[in-house]
Amino acid sequence: MTILCVRFQLPPMYEAALPGLLGLLEEFTPVVEALPPDGALADLRGAERYFGRGAADLAPVIRVRALARYGVDCVIGAGPGPMLARMALREARPGVTRAVPGDAAAEFLADQPVAALPGVGSRTARTLCEYGLDTLGRVAAAPLSTLQRLVGTKAGRELHEKANGVDRGRVVPNAVSRSLATERAFPHDELDPDRHRRALLSAAEELGTRLRALDKVCRTLTLTVRYADRSATTRSRSLKEPTAHSAALTKAAYGMYEALGLQRARVRAITLRAEGLDPAEQASYQLTFDPLDERARRIEAVADRARAKFGPGAIVPGALAA
Amino acid sequence: MPGFTHLRTVSGFSLRYGASHPERLAGRAEERGMDALALTDRDTLAGAVRFAKACEKAGVRPLFGADLAVDPPEPGERGGRGARRRTPVRGGAFIDESTPRVTFLARDGATAWAELCRLVSAAHRSGEGPPVLPWEDCRGDGLTVLLGPASDVGRALAAGRPDRAARLLAPWRERYGDALRLEAVWHGRTGTGPGSLRLAARTVGFAAEQRLRPVLTNAVRYADPGQGPVADVLDAARRLVPIAPAGPHDSGERWLKGEAAMLAVAERIVEAAGFRRDTAYRLLEQTRAAAAECLVDPQDDIGIGSVRFPEPGLVGAGRRTAQRVLASRAAAGMVLRGYDRRPDARTYWERVHHELDIVAHHGYASYFLTVAQVVDDVRDLGIRVAARGSGAGSLVNHLLGIAHADPVEHGLLMERFLSTRRRVLPDIDIDVESARRLEVYRAIIGRFGAERVATVAMPETYRVRHAIRDVGAALSMDPADIDRIAKAFPHIRARDARAAMEELPELRGIAAEAEEHGKLWELVEGLDALPRGVAMHPCGVLLSDASLLARTPVMPTSGEGLPMSQFDKEDVEDLGLLKLDVLGVRMQSAMAHAAAEVERATGTPLDLDAIPPDDSSTYRLIRSAETLGCFQIESPGQRDLVGRLQPADFHDLVVDISLFRPGPVAADMVRPFIEARHGRAPIRYPHPDLAEPLRETYGVVVFHEQIIDIVHLMTGCGRDEADRVRRGLSDPESQGRIRFWFAQAAAAKGYSAETIARTWEIVEAFGSYGFCKAHAVAFAVPTYQSAWLKAHHPAAFYAGLLTHDPGMYPKRLLLADARRRGVPVLPLDVNRSAVAHRIELESDSGAWGVRLALSDVHGISAAEAERVAAGQPYTSLLDFWERARPSRPLAARLAQVGALDAFGANRRDLQLHLTELQRGARGARGPQLPLPGGHRTAPAGLPDLDDAERLSAELGVLSMDASRNLMDDHQAFLDELGVVSARRLRTARHGDTVLVAGARAATQTPPIRSGKRVIFTTLDDGTGLVDLAFFDDSHDACAHTVFHSWLLLVRGVVQRRGPRSLSVVGAAAWNLADLVELRREGGLDAVAPRLAEPGEPPAGADPVHGRRIRMETGYEMHPWADLQPPGERAATGRKLWHQSPGSAG
Repeated sequence: MTILCVRFQLPPMYEAALPGLLGLLEEFTPVVEALPPDGALADLRGAERYFGRGAADLAPVIRVRALARYGVDCVIGAGPGPMLARMALREARPGVTRAVPGDAAAEFLADQPVAALPGVGSRTARTLCEYGLDTLGRVAAAPLSTLQRLVGTKAGRELHEKANGVDRGRVVPNAVSRSLATERAFPHDELDPDRHRRALLSAAEELGTRLRALDKVCRTLTLTVRYADRSATTRSRSLKEPTAHSAALTKAAYGMYEALGLQRARVRAITLRAEGLDPAEQASYQLTFDPLDERARRIEAVADRARAKFGPGAIVPGALAA
Repeated sequence: MPGFTHLRTVSGFSLRYGASHPERLAGRAEERGMDALALTDRDTLAGAVRFAKACEKAGVRPLFGADLAVDPPEPGERGGRGARRRTPVRGGAFIDESTPRVTFLARDGATAWAELCRLVSAAHRSGEGPPVLPWEDCRGDGLTVLLGPASDVGRALAAGRPDRAARLLAPWRERYGDALRLEAVWHGRTGTGPGSLRLAARTVGFAAEQRLRPVLTNAVRYADPGQGPVADVLDAARRLVPIAPAGPHDSGERWLKGEAAMLAVAERIVEAAGFRRDTAYRLLEQTRAAAAECLVDPQDDIGIGSVRFPEPGLVGAGRRTAQRVLASRAAAGMVLRGYDRRPDARTYWERVHHELDIVAHHGYASYFLTVAQVVDDVRDLGIRVAARGSGAGSLVNHLLGIAHADPVEHGLLMERFLSTRRRVLPDIDIDVESARRLEVYRAIIGRFGAERVATVAMPETYRVRHAIRDVGAALSMDPADIDRIAKAFPHIRARDARAAMEELPELRGIAAEAEEHGKLWELVEGLDALPRGVAMHPCGVLLSDASLLARTPVMPTSGEGLPMSQFDKEDVEDLGLLKLDVLGVRMQSAMAHAAAEVERATGTPLDLDAIPPDDSSTYRLIRSAETLGCFQIESPGQRDLVGRLQPADFHDLVVDISLFRPGPVAADMVRPFIEARHGRAPIRYPHPDLAEPLRETYGVVVFHEQIIDIVHLMTGCGRDEADRVRRGLSDPESQGRIRFWFAQAAAAKGYSAETIARTWEIVEAFGSYGFCKAHAVAFAVPTYQSAWLKAHHPAAFYAGLLTHDPGMYPKRLLLADARRRGVPVLPLDVNRSAVAHRIELESDSGAWGVRLALSDVHGISAAEAERVAAGQPYTSLLDFWERARPSRPLAARLAQVGALDAFGANRRDLQLHLTELQRGARGARGPQLPLPGGHRTAPAGLPDLDDAERLSAELGVLSMDASRNLMDDHQAFLDELGVVSARRLRTARHGDTVLVAGARAATQTPPIRSGKRVIFTTLDDGTGLVDLAFFDDSHDACAHTVFHSWLLLVRGVVQRRGPRSLSVVGAAAWNLADLVELRREGGLDAVAPRLAEPGEPPAGADPVHGRRIRMETGYEMHPWADLQPPGERAATGRKLWHQSPGSAG
């Protein structure tokens, strides 16, 4: 009963606030793991002794502090390990912290759907449900060998342990914000490739600006295209080198978009996500003899300064100005 | 000065392109003072006949043509086709419309029409992709060719390349020479594209330079101004894209402009081309001259009004005349059937000679021989065939083997079919097994040759649901919203959309949000009745002499690849093409399958055409009204009528079928008939002379034949004239004249005024309500046969029904009926089930049971089913997997429904093994062999499917609750509510208020006598069927629930009209599935508030405001009756069950 899983109720696409909120948790314990975009795990083992009360009792303190200082509400689940804390969070509401004591774990898990288990993705969950293993209780009752036949040797063993309440995870302190995302929605079904490209350009520009503002570079870019029937296509591309350079991001985004070869698809939104964020100073940068690239980067730096001074709309690419 | 002639006009028959009907175009042309109008639809001549008729009515001279995509001589002109684009991951590729299009106008009479037909047929020949006319076929005498903005030449001009245009023009010039025209079009567009002033001017200038004649057209797409948005929707629907808000949109100019407007257009064009303004008159003059050259007469050249039969040589009349052959075949038939040895042989001979005289009078002998030939060929294939329709009234037809029933014995009249007074093409319809209908078509083509045979087209027109779907998609509405709105509507005409929203209670929800959808409704109504696709007519086959292809354009049907005329049923009749209706009847297939099963299982062949007539157990079954699955008498209304009428012989069946028509039901001919039949009312005749024809129906007029006899007896006019009189009765105008004539003629024969008045009352009331007895006799034969099968070979009967699914009820209801009647339903088993449903002797009970078929498994392909059946028996799961080679999802489904239970282990373990077998098949076999210990499958310790999951799997995979009735699971809850089962309902008293529940099986809103809209629905609760009726006053509260729920709980009042006639009048309805859910989650306390919720208060005033539709036959109908109701047709298995999280898949 020492791990808390906190989810802050942030407005969507407002990840920038997360670092501050993590700082709040770090006032209680140094062992805080960010769960972007809006959550965190905190190991309060040391804090319990310091504050003289249990982790579950500290939860309201965290909540009022987040509300008082940031105006952000949060929901909190508590458990003996990260897995149970995260699962407990599912049943928590603002103001009601759900705590799962270690000895009640089996009982708590038995009725949970398999998809609730951290590490069980939609695919594994589907496989398990297909074979009637829809609750963790049933998974726990199934023979280990059968589980391994279903989902593979290693995953099967882990699943077996987790379903039986064995929580081997630890809270690993890490940095914030492993990804940044931005979305461009269309007011109607949009088929025009030019408009799609403009949306991509503007999204890539925004991501670049935000990354540079955070002094980060990203390794991977993910494009999600949403269609009128609420389905979506997702493509990821690793960048040649980690970068926050808008032109490079735009090029990668265009590349992914072209590969989709969309013609009649009714696009309602385009989302671009920068993933694998690292501090900018750790990034390598392949120098070239091409002066254009150098110039583009310098212009970008100037434009960033202008934006900082006159607002984000002060300088935009010509294609977006019209 | 005569008006402008539009040389390029498309109608709605240009699929998803033209926005007006040919009739509208012809009407507008007349209003705007035009003398002539051309119809040049895209890729089709389907509108030509309607257009010709409309033009004749409007007094406008029709010109015929077609707008075809032509594969240009130079491959470089193919537009974007060369460059292959990447296949889209989603949404599909753009529809390629880049092929240049050219307009062809028929100029020189019949040859030109034939050429036009040939060109259109050639464009469709490949049968795949959009129709394109290959360049080598693009030649034709007597055609005028218009090269417009969409042609290769026009495109080169638009691109500013007159040099290239000149080069492209050369091959056209070479082929068409003087018949070539350049077409200038101005729609007020900017730039140089189609419809722009600059292109029009360039075209005129280019024509002058090349010494070609230019013409002016408006490339008309719709009749009236303001229809541009509809054209945009059609464009979007054709190209399968939404309307781009930024455009380009339709210019709104492409309507049938009048003379003055076109003169203004011409002036602008010639001025822009640098000519003097009065040159415009020259341009119009050229256009007029081009129109004047086009001389195709609808009567003489297209052939409207003439008749062509296949050459007599093809139907066995090579050396003798067709009439002689017919006479000798009829005589042979007399001998063969033994009629010449009967005591009344004379009657037969006289009838034969009389009929042969009529046939000779019209020269239709080769028609009879043709039909006889087709029937013989079909029978030789071993396909069940039966004649239907008035043709059954002809003894010659009977003797030729076309019709089964003996018309003399049943009192059927030749005059109803054909007489010397009527010059219409007789029509003989034949019913064949539906499953083998295409085989029959191919046999006909094989017999007469592809140049004489074609199937008939059936345009699919926009009705409200499709219109909503297409407009919604064009307007970028949310697909989920579109689907919900479309399904909420009954199948009504698109133009009634807004009226229906105002008047129908179940659409109130949609009406409330109607405003949000803006232009949707207007556009939906704008699409009304426009053709949106073309399909093969389900029964018509054209038979003609070798000139068929010169008279009708033919295209291959998608899928079957049969030749199909572009003309529809009515066009074909107008064209005088001989049409034979070959109707695929599922019941015939079902009975053929049943008979084959009996023979396979017992070894005794069963000839359904030779079963004993008047079998008492068959009639006992019919009288019990448990006639589910029997031909024609299975609907709730018929079951009720059969229960009241209590048929005892074949004639009663004929009457029963005739009475169950909207007409007789509406005229309440049923009640007096039943009263008289059961001796509760005396039999009355208007005059003793009329006792003869009316005796068989207790003095009530039921058949057309009786009216013919009455008129004949009273006036002495002869039966042929009497039939003409009968036909005149439905028309109020001629009715007055007939009345006068009738009174005079009858008085002349000495009947009293009172008798005449009484008889006329009957004749008049009858109108054309009645039913042709020949039809009814033809129907009653399969009715009796199917009832006989149900009485004597129930298992085979159900096997046939389940295989060919002929009825109005879902299959699961047939299965429930089988269970109720004690026919064991044997589960699917890969070692025992065949492709089709089979009968099998059940060892426990010794009764014949039905073994479910592999073909009913969801997603099984025909090849897979064949393979599974061919490999039987299988010794183990591995054996099955390796030899039957099912796909993984299929194998999983088979495991779920227990088809693999024989291999041991539970159903989920089997699935796991199957998954591993599949992985193994891909080369990565796991370390452990899945099948230790011989043939049994080792258990893997997975939880087995529980009962609910098994039922859910059955419904999901087979769409049937095969092991037990799905209502059984709700029994405890229904008992709590005090629901009365269908079985117990039989003892309920008239007027009792009861609760009933069940799965909804069939829902109808038929036209009924009171002119109100009544919703009839049937519930199945496992113990039997409950027939429900919801009247007007309950619609506000119930209609939506009834149409859109699969499981229903209904409160209602019992209505009894006879010992076997019972229905429940619904007062309140709830969705039972919701209630069950509430019960499960919150107990009875959660159910109570739902039941306490008041339904919507009755709206009070009649929203229809007493509006009634007066039918041709004289009775009134509620405007929304007789429509296929909203919601989905019938519950398939999937929908009847909530998928629980632990469901089987």
